[in-house]
Amino acid sequence: MQYKQIELKKAIKLHTIKSDKFKTNLLSVFLTVKLDKEKVTSNALIPSVLRRGSKNMQTQEKINKELEELYGASFDCGLDKAGDNQVIKFYIETINDNYLPENDRNILKISLEKLLELVFDPYLEDDCFSKEYVKQEKNNLKNIIESKIDNKGRYALDRCIEEMYKNEPFGLYKYGYVEDLDKINEKDLYKEYQNLIKDSKIDIFITGNIDENIIEQIKDNENIKKLQDREPKYEPHKIEDIVQKEEKIVNESMDVTQGKLVIGLNINIDNEKDKYIVLMYNNILGGSATSKMFQNIREKEHLAYVANSIYFRHKNVIFINCGIEIENYDKALSLTREQLEDMKKGNFTDEDINNCKKGIIATIKGIEDEQDTMITYCFGQELSQTGVKLDEYQDIIEKITKEQIVDIANKVSINTIYFLNN
Amino acid sequence: MKIIENSKVKEKLYVDKLKNGLTVMIIPKKGIQKKYLIWGTNYGSIDSNFIVPGEKQETKVPMGIAHFLEHKMFEQPNGTNSLDTLTSLGVDANAYTTNDHTAYLFEATDNFYEAMTELMDYVQHPYFTDENVEKEKGIIGQEINMYSDSPDWKVYLNALKAMYHNNPVKIDIAGTIESISEINKDILYKCYNTFYNPSNMTLVISGDFNPEEMIEEVKNRLIDVKSNGKIKRIYPEEPETIVQEKIEEKLEVSQPMYVIGIKDTNNDCDKEIVKKHISIEIILRLIIGKSSKLYKQLYDEGIIYSRPSLDYEFSKTYAHIMIMGQSNNPEEVYKRIKMEIKNLKEKGINGEDMDRTKKMIYGAYVREYNDVADIARMFLSDNFKGINSFDYLEEIEGINVEYLMQVLDDVFKEDKMVISIVKN
Repeated sequence: MQYKQIELKKAIKLHTIKSDKFKTNLLSVFLTVKLDKEKVTSNALIPSVLRRGSKNMQTQEKINKELEELYGASFDCGLDKAGDNQVIKFYIETINDNYLPENDRNILKISLEKLLELVFDPYLEDDCFSKEYVKQEKNNLKNIIESKIDNKGRYALDRCIEEMYKNEPFGLYKYGYVEDLDKINEKDLYKEYQNLIKDSKIDIFITGNIDENIIEQIKDNENIKKLQDREPKYEPHKIEDIVQKEEKIVNESMDVTQGKLVIGLNINIDNEKDKYIVLMYNNILGGSATSKMFQNIREKEHLAYVANSIYFRHKNVIFINCGIEIENYDKALSLTREQLEDMKKGNFTDEDINNCKKGIIATIKGIEDEQDTMITYCFGQELSQTGVKLDEYQDIIEKITKEQIVDIANKVSINTIYFLNN
Repeated sequence: MKIIENSKVKEKLYVDKLKNGLTVMIIPKKGIQKKYLIWGTNYGSIDSNFIVPGEKQETKVPMGIAHFLEHKMFEQPNGTNSLDTLTSLGVDANAYTTNDHTAYLFEATDNFYEAMTELMDYVQHPYFTDENVEKEKGIIGQEINMYSDSPDWKVYLNALKAMYHNNPVKIDIAGTIESISEINKDILYKCYNTFYNPSNMTLVISGDFNPEEMIEEVKNRLIDVKSNGKIKRIYPEEPETIVQEKIEEKLEVSQPMYVIGIKDTNNDCDKEIVKKHISIEIILRLIIGKSSKLYKQLYDEGIIYSRPSLDYEFSKTYAHIMIMGQSNNPEEVYKRIKMEIKNLKEKGINGEDMDRTKKMIYGAYVREYNDVADIARMFLSDNFKGINSFDYLEEIEGINVEYLMQVLDDVFKEDKMVISIVKN
């Protein structure tokens, strides 16, 4: 595998990841901007409108027919929060020419053109987005925003994030807000789109069995040529100071059988390198089947089927999740507190540490086996501006000591306890 | 050992049936770090009534037992749990139960052989006690509760209830809190001894290996168990008709969820099944795929806002189509899909549309061969249906309009259609 990056223009980067072990090529364009209440909803709406039509493929039907002709090249858009940024993602995955029955077309080349056209050259009516498309997509986005209650586990986590980061960018819902949606019209949205293209940090990823020509092809692409140098309006990841307040307790009722307990944890570290230790800490706390949460809440006390914790590295925050009987709230909470205390006291063994290291290292080694994971890793490095290679990453994990983990444990405190019940 | 090569995806399958009856399949993947092993038994949630080989009397066991057994297999006599042991080796281990099979698996980059030893050891050595069986009832109880809060699971299960009178596919894989309360260690041992015999099992491995050496590694880890002969499985008689056309349940959701089901006659997974399966996938996309007219209309009218998921699910005892999505007006979606089926039957299938859809589906099949986990899981579950996964890549070419029209007439019947809705 060979990874290269080329700055096409200021804050516009091309990342190429060459590997011949896949049947597919995966291409993506990421637009990164600072999360902002004023813009989060319109930014969420933009990809939905873009996938309705481009300059040469004016309808969704036309786009899909063309993609189907390319052996089901799949075009997808997504929204993500990365720290205090909103990332708008566009993907096309195609079959590598080697695995096609006929070898007459260069599918990679064609799909790259199509992807860039879909993102940078939308279908317009009178120099503006189509009124009809915007109207329909507003309605669709409204449905998506409202559907957040449908998955109760995910909903509880989203709500805990919202409560913990009230009035802060990270607390914003990535799909935006219904009340802001109503105000958007096609003219304003097109203006927002133009601003987004002008101001966002742009990263283009190409992975697969690619050759050098692809770089020239990108440079010569009309849609790329149009783009200007920029001072991107995004937030490189930084470590934030934590002001510890009292624990915040939030109870919410819904028609549910199972209660969902989500606990948000502050981690008071002061440099980027400590995040690797936090990763280890989280793994021992609730990141695997041998973790304290899984062993004690699930295996010993049988209180839950789901008992885990996840680390949002870009934001440096941990969330603990448990699905429990509603009446077991106090018991589950006090057991969770015990686990946090245990971590502080260093009540875990060298074996626990070694096991976690093995698990994390296996994950690192597997990154290269999946194209989207590789892109996610490279993009994470790009945002944190660390440039840690996979073997260096592995090395860092191997060297972490128990003292370091205990030290981190003593910098962890509960910020918010959220409970969904009935 | 038999070698089957596929020239389209340029992969090879090494398959062997060992003396004890175990089927071993190896799909080498050069240059991939990850290695995947999955060991499955052809025993799922629908197998709760059977005759143990050598016995005359029928055995009936509580619903949800295959899944319960899956949870309990990790327990070891020395008090350890194999899931912990595997996790400690740095491998990603798991297990799952479906309607027709149960599987134990792990994915590794390092310590593959140690993990293989552990997995093969625990699958061959059950250890159930009254105490460890009781404890699991609490955990599985929470798993069942989690699903009962899940509207997509409810709407799916209800569609099965609307289609099937008797076939146990309509019952939740995990059973119910009541049914699992009847489970004890003796019943678990009985099910284990019946269904976890090598002759009822298949082991699939994918990764960067030499297949000849790997098969020896498998043999070295097998304990001496004789092939136990044929298990007679008893399934209730299932009429071809549906139970009820509509089924509705109330649950808190943002927008109604629906599943449109089409019950198919059980096809016993004969030779034509792969061709039929591909044809159904093509037809479903012609009806309501992303480039279809109906999708465009429903989308433009604001009735749907994403493409419904489209599946054909089948085993040796059941077969049905499931169209699943969210809509503010599921009844309208149902009506229009019915109309579109009728329309397609009358006007015929356009060859160009078919060719384009075939290309798309071919692409989707090729994509399955990127990842060792996808490959191994696919070969395992197809194997229990009597299918060699490579056949999908080969059979698609020969499908033509006449064949599609035949399948359309045979399967997409109005009187076999049901709709399940979950809404506020």
